Amino acid sequence: MRLTSARLCVGRKYELYSMDWDLQEELRDCLVAAASYGGPIALLRNPWKKEKAASIRPVLEIYSASGMPLASMLWKSGPVVSLGWSAEEELLCVQEDGVVLVYGLHGDFRRHFSMGNEVLQNRVLDARIFHTEFGSGVAILTGAHRFTLSANVGDLKLRRMPEVPGLQSAPSCWTTLCQDRVAHVLLAVGPDLYLLDHAACSAVTLPGLAPGVSSFLQMAVSFTYRHLALFTDTGYIWMGTASLKEKLCEFNCNIRAPPKQMVWCSRPRSKERAVVVAWERRLMVVGDAPESIQYPWRAAKDSYLVPELDGVRIFSRSTHEFLHEVPVASEEIFKIASMAPGALLLEAQKEYEKESQKADEYLREIQELGQLTQAVQQCIEAAGHEHWPDMQKSLLRAASFGKCFLDRFPPDSFVRMCQDLRVLNAVRDYHIGIPLTYSQYKQLTIQVLLDRLVLRRLYPLAIQICEYLRLPEVQGVSRILAHWACYKVQQKDVSDEDVARAINQKLGDTPGVSYSDIAARAYGCGRTELAIKLLEYEPRSGEQVPLLLKMKRSKLALSKAIESGDTDLVFTVLLHLKNELNRGDFFMTLRNQPMALSLYRQFCKHQELETLKDLYNQDDNHQELGSFHIRASYAAEERIEGRVAALQTAADAFYKAKNEFAAKATEDQMRLLRLQRRLEDELGGQFLDLSLHDTVTTLILGGQNKRAEQLARDFRIPDKRLWWLKLTALAHLEDWEELEKFSKSKKSPIGYLPFVEICMKQHNKYEAKKYASRVGPEQKVKALLLVGDVAQAADVAIEHRNEAEMSLVLSHCTGATDGATADKIQRARAQAQKK
Amino acid sequence: MAFPHRPDAPELPDFSMLKRLARDQLIYLLEQLPGKKDLFIEADLMSPLDRIANVSILKQHEVDKLYKVENKPALSSSEQLCFLVRPRIKNMRYIASLVNADKLAGRTRKYKVIFSPQKFYACEMVLEEEGIYGDVSCDEWAFSLLPLDVDLLSMELPEFFRDYFLEGDQRWINTVAQALHLLSTLYGPFPYCYGIGRCAKMSHELWRNLEEEEDGETKGRRPEIGHIFLLDRDMDFVTALCSQVVYEGLVDDTFRIKCGSVDFGPEVTSSDKSLKVLLNAEDKVFNEIRNEHFSNVFGFLSQKARNLQAQYDRRRGMDIKQMKNFVSQELKGLKQEHRLLSLRRFQLEGRDYVSSPSILSADIGACESIMKKKTKQDFQELIKTEHALLEGFNIRESTNYIEEHIDRQVSPIESLRLMCLLSITENGLIPKDYRSLKTQYLQSYGPEHLLTFSNLRRAGLLTEQAPGDTLTAVESKVSKLVTDKAAGKITDAFSSLAKRSNFRAISKKLNLIPRVDGEYDLKVPRDMAYVFSGAYVPLSCRIIEQVLERRSWQGLDEVVRLLNCSELAFTDMTKEDKASSESLRLILVVFLGGCTFSEISALRFLGREKGYRFIFLTTAVTNSARLMEAMSEVKA
Repeated sequence: MRLTSARLCVGRKYELYSMDWDLQEELRDCLVAAASYGGPIALLRNPWKKEKAASIRPVLEIYSASGMPLASMLWKSGPVVSLGWSAEEELLCVQEDGVVLVYGLHGDFRRHFSMGNEVLQNRVLDARIFHTEFGSGVAILTGAHRFTLSANVGDLKLRRMPEVPGLQSAPSCWTTLCQDRVAHVLLAVGPDLYLLDHAACSAVTLPGLAPGVSSFLQMAVSFTYRHLALFTDTGYIWMGTASLKEKLCEFNCNIRAPPKQMVWCSRPRSKERAVVVAWERRLMVVGDAPESIQYPWRAAKDSYLVPELDGVRIFSRSTHEFLHEVPVASEEIFKIASMAPGALLLEAQKEYEKESQKADEYLREIQELGQLTQAVQQCIEAAGHEHWPDMQKSLLRAASFGKCFLDRFPPDSFVRMCQDLRVLNAVRDYHIGIPLTYSQYKQLTIQVLLDRLVLRRLYPLAIQICEYLRLPEVQGVSRILAHWACYKVQQKDVSDEDVARAINQKLGDTPGVSYSDIAARAYGCGRTELAIKLLEYEPRSGEQVPLLLKMKRSKLALSKAIESGDTDLVFTVLLHLKNELNRGDFFMTLRNQPMALSLYRQFCKHQELETLKDLYNQDDNHQELGSFHIRASYAAEERIEGRVAALQTAADAFYKAKNEFAAKATEDQMRLLRLQRRLEDELGGQFLDLSLHDTVTTLILGGQNKRAEQLARDFRIPDKRLWWLKLTALAHLEDWEELEKFSKSKKSPIGYLPFVEICMKQHNKYEAKKYASRVGPEQKVKALLLVGDVAQAADVAIEHRNEAEMSLVLSHCTGATDGATADKIQRARAQAQKK
Repeated sequence: MAFPHRPDAPELPDFSMLKRLARDQLIYLLEQLPGKKDLFIEADLMSPLDRIANVSILKQHEVDKLYKVENKPALSSSEQLCFLVRPRIKNMRYIASLVNADKLAGRTRKYKVIFSPQKFYACEMVLEEEGIYGDVSCDEWAFSLLPLDVDLLSMELPEFFRDYFLEGDQRWINTVAQALHLLSTLYGPFPYCYGIGRCAKMSHELWRNLEEEEDGETKGRRPEIGHIFLLDRDMDFVTALCSQVVYEGLVDDTFRIKCGSVDFGPEVTSSDKSLKVLLNAEDKVFNEIRNEHFSNVFGFLSQKARNLQAQYDRRRGMDIKQMKNFVSQELKGLKQEHRLLSLRRFQLEGRDYVSSPSILSADIGACESIMKKKTKQDFQELIKTEHALLEGFNIRESTNYIEEHIDRQVSPIESLRLMCLLSITENGLIPKDYRSLKTQYLQSYGPEHLLTFSNLRRAGLLTEQAPGDTLTAVESKVSKLVTDKAAGKITDAFSSLAKRSNFRAISKKLNLIPRVDGEYDLKVPRDMAYVFSGAYVPLSCRIIEQVLERRSWQGLDEVVRLLNCSELAFTDMTKEDKASSESLRLILVVFLGGCTFSEISALRFLGREKGYRFIFLTTAVTNSARLMEAMSEVKA
């Protein structure tokens, strides 16, 4: 049915379904909520309106858009003020006491939440469910004429809007607006309008409002929150932008009765503005034109409007219709006597089927104008906007016909349209009952559509669609199978064994299926055993952990976490265990899991030293305990007594660990510490924390030779070390006399070459030479070279008949000075070779 | 000099992408905190950060002042503080102290912690315990691979070695797996995968899991790199413990190359400033000498210097125009080269090895200053001892040498290194030496090293020979246990028993000590042993060579058993027809726990010989000193 008037071309209306729901009640006696995007319809007969019939419990019924019953239940909770669907197709029922009950599509109770104390005290006067980009919100008008709202029921944050100054009675009408990602409330009180945001209440005026308005009766905001319409008591309709900055048009309908519903009917990005206004017995479409379209309100005197993205759905007890603005492509093609390329192409194809030559004429006409591509595109686009498959087919046939005459027309737009239409026709089917338009479908995306099918438990159809569209398994089939599995685990009449087997049979190891999610659902239904069975199918052990923890199978969780190799996960489990078990059991568990143990030890080392000690104690790990106390002796303790005590504990631990070496070394250290302390007291200076070697050196450097000797004896410093030490220290002091005395004290255990070296290092050639003569034969050459006596070195080398030594000397011969020596060696070499 | 690659050597993949990725991600993270902010950087991250994003890039993204994370109160007056740190508990405590100080002073600022390469739950725990979890926001900068050179990727995680091989902490394995996953998404799958060691095996498993989870992403990609080889550092401690004599390794041993560059102090630059030099393939002279045995480098550099001089001399007899041209184009380059060259000479002179004293005499003063600091003992003696240890003769003499080394307090780290080398090559010290060397060491360097010894024992670096048969019995039992995942009931003491090195047997089996007839020509090396003056083929590199030759571990059972890795050596081949012959000659070697420049040089040599190209991925570039320091207990 096409609607045209002289200047207003609003659109057309077609029937979606004839409803054969068997309604007991009149729609007007019910609270009605219908979800957008062809969503379900909820009805609750409203017994609370009339004061008498409170004794009968009302029935809440949920139907698909085609009138197929989805759920029916007795309402046992309190009086309901308003119903609404969230974006996830959950039914929100706002009770008079401010409690919002949330139900699923099939009438399954999900959860409930309260809108706050203030609402509870003052009761709910009116409520709206609205949709923003964050999700679905609830706005409430309380008995105290204050507004409370939450912009997202999924993440409940209540906002109490500011008070309207001087407001005595309930506003005549109100709505929520959404601007700059913030929800506002617009309300009308008498001739005044107020805008509430979270900070302030401001009075607003409508630009270009006709005079004489004493009250606003109805207001409507468009689907995308861009436009606003207000109906006044003078029968005048103001239409403008939602920002209230601009008037778009106005209309005077001369009906003063308050309308039952007023809804915008416009397409996104369209220039046409139109509002559908419904009264009990009248339906009127008004827009930017002096005339309106009035519908004969046939049998449908009791109908309900559902705003959609690109039009309005109207359903009544008997029919379900869609009213929308004709899309440009369809308009072009179907306009009477249209000469648009698409229209010509459609005509050409029809003629072609009739085998009429006119086909050629039409085609030629399009081609002459060079508009064939455009024509094909128009036909494809128009097909998308057609509801009836026959019409879609003929348009697509025309497009395909036109395509034949084009060289390079990319096929994907055609193919995609065919696919999309197939999906749309499938879901529009009476049995499915989702009357999506093409624009709505594109806005909704295939993913969301699939989710909605899953929500309706239409798993086979969803899977067919996925397979038909060749969606990647992870996004498509596996996701749906996973949902199916989640539904399956809720079937309590089937045994755990059977459910688990059925699920595994169907899912196998389909990529992207998370058995742990399914198990979590099973656990959520109280089927712990089933959850554990399902978890066994989960290939990634890491995924099993969170649920195992939840189910208090912490030890199993720990080994799974370790298996996963994810140390963070192990740590999470450890902390769980730590709180869950007593200390002893916790440590015992750790003991059996070396990986977890070392992880925890690392943590303790930095953060909980005492626990570390307990850990070692528990394990009787005396070796580590000893090390622990050694570290404490210099890191944690400051006082000397404390340090010695720590060392004593360490030594005891080492004895227990049968590590006598460490125990003895520790005891030596205790002795040394005490001694160093005494030295500091007696001699001053810094001794504490020096190594034994450095302690003795410091003593010698300070001239305390006696004490040094004593110390060396006490700690049984080996001779060699003592000699090195003394030698270095004395040379450093340049105490050559003492050094010589020392060198003669007995035969050096380290030979005399070091004496030569150290003297040369101090640049004392004179002293060095003294010792060079005492160096043993093997190192004599080296020593002589060190003191620079090349000639004598050569002699010794020749005498030794040592080839290596000779070349060493030779490499030290420089230029003219050592010429003779070099010759000498060469001769000796030559001689040696002769032999 | 500088052997060219064979003409058929494959091209290396372009790893600069990794830098760009890291930079973009960092910028994104900085932009998450809009407005001016002060950035606190952990000292260890400074050099890597510098390679990714310089100060001006940071400033562009509204970083106002830069601070180092150190244990001092911050003087920052900014309203927003951003911390770029490794996930360490001590950093968390530092941040907590800052935030809590602000709280006490009644100040509110915004704090953001960026963990690199990932955050750990334990860190968040500490933030929570300190009561500031709600005040800071946490993010991850997944910067795990820094291309230090065209063929060298470093994770710059020196703590990996201690954390894993000493403390048994497996946190970083996940990071390794992530890094490998990143490489395979960027450069295609690896058709051949080999590995040895527990850590290698775990990393490989985790990595495979990651790939499976994101199935399809790498599928169908052409592999760019044909082979990947994962190797645990504890398979071969010996190589890492030897003194390095290849030029780049020597520079690392002497001056410490940090994040691909080295700071030359005043004693090298012979001016009062120190100089930072970037060492990589872009430096042509360096590229020619990096893999050379040091004894060749001098001659080469002198020649180079002479050439340079000749080029300088060309200036004479030029007309003005030519002169201008020369100055604008060449001189700058020449000067740069000259400066670097003279630096190099000093570096070399730092070690007293040279046979011709004429060159040495040039700057004997500077040399001596380095000598005093670096070595109190003859370098040659040291090398001789090391070779004796590797070959296993004159053990008594070597032991005495080490003892003297300790007695004279030459250097705590060097002494420790020699002790470990002795222990590993000899399958542990005989009890008498074990006790006496330790006693001497404690007397020289202080009693806290009792803990160092306990660490070394646990890591299997310094152990005591257990009496005969009982050990092998226990060992076989334990090694069975070690390999079983579920049976984790081994105490530390047992696992250290299992770490018998068997070096001598492996050495014989793999022919690590080349038979030398006559002089080993270091100028024209014949095998990888040249990196240790012809005395020893690095074990790690030999294993890699053998496996690549066989494309599996087949026939190496005995070696694997001797390495105590019977269950820990794996081969993983994916049927891959798309791998080009070129990609099959590219090999990525992953060193878990660090690799040395000597190993890099040896494998570069092997690559040239066989027409392969090796790419190196290491948790950090390491050397003997770094290994020993990681094991040492230092008094705070």
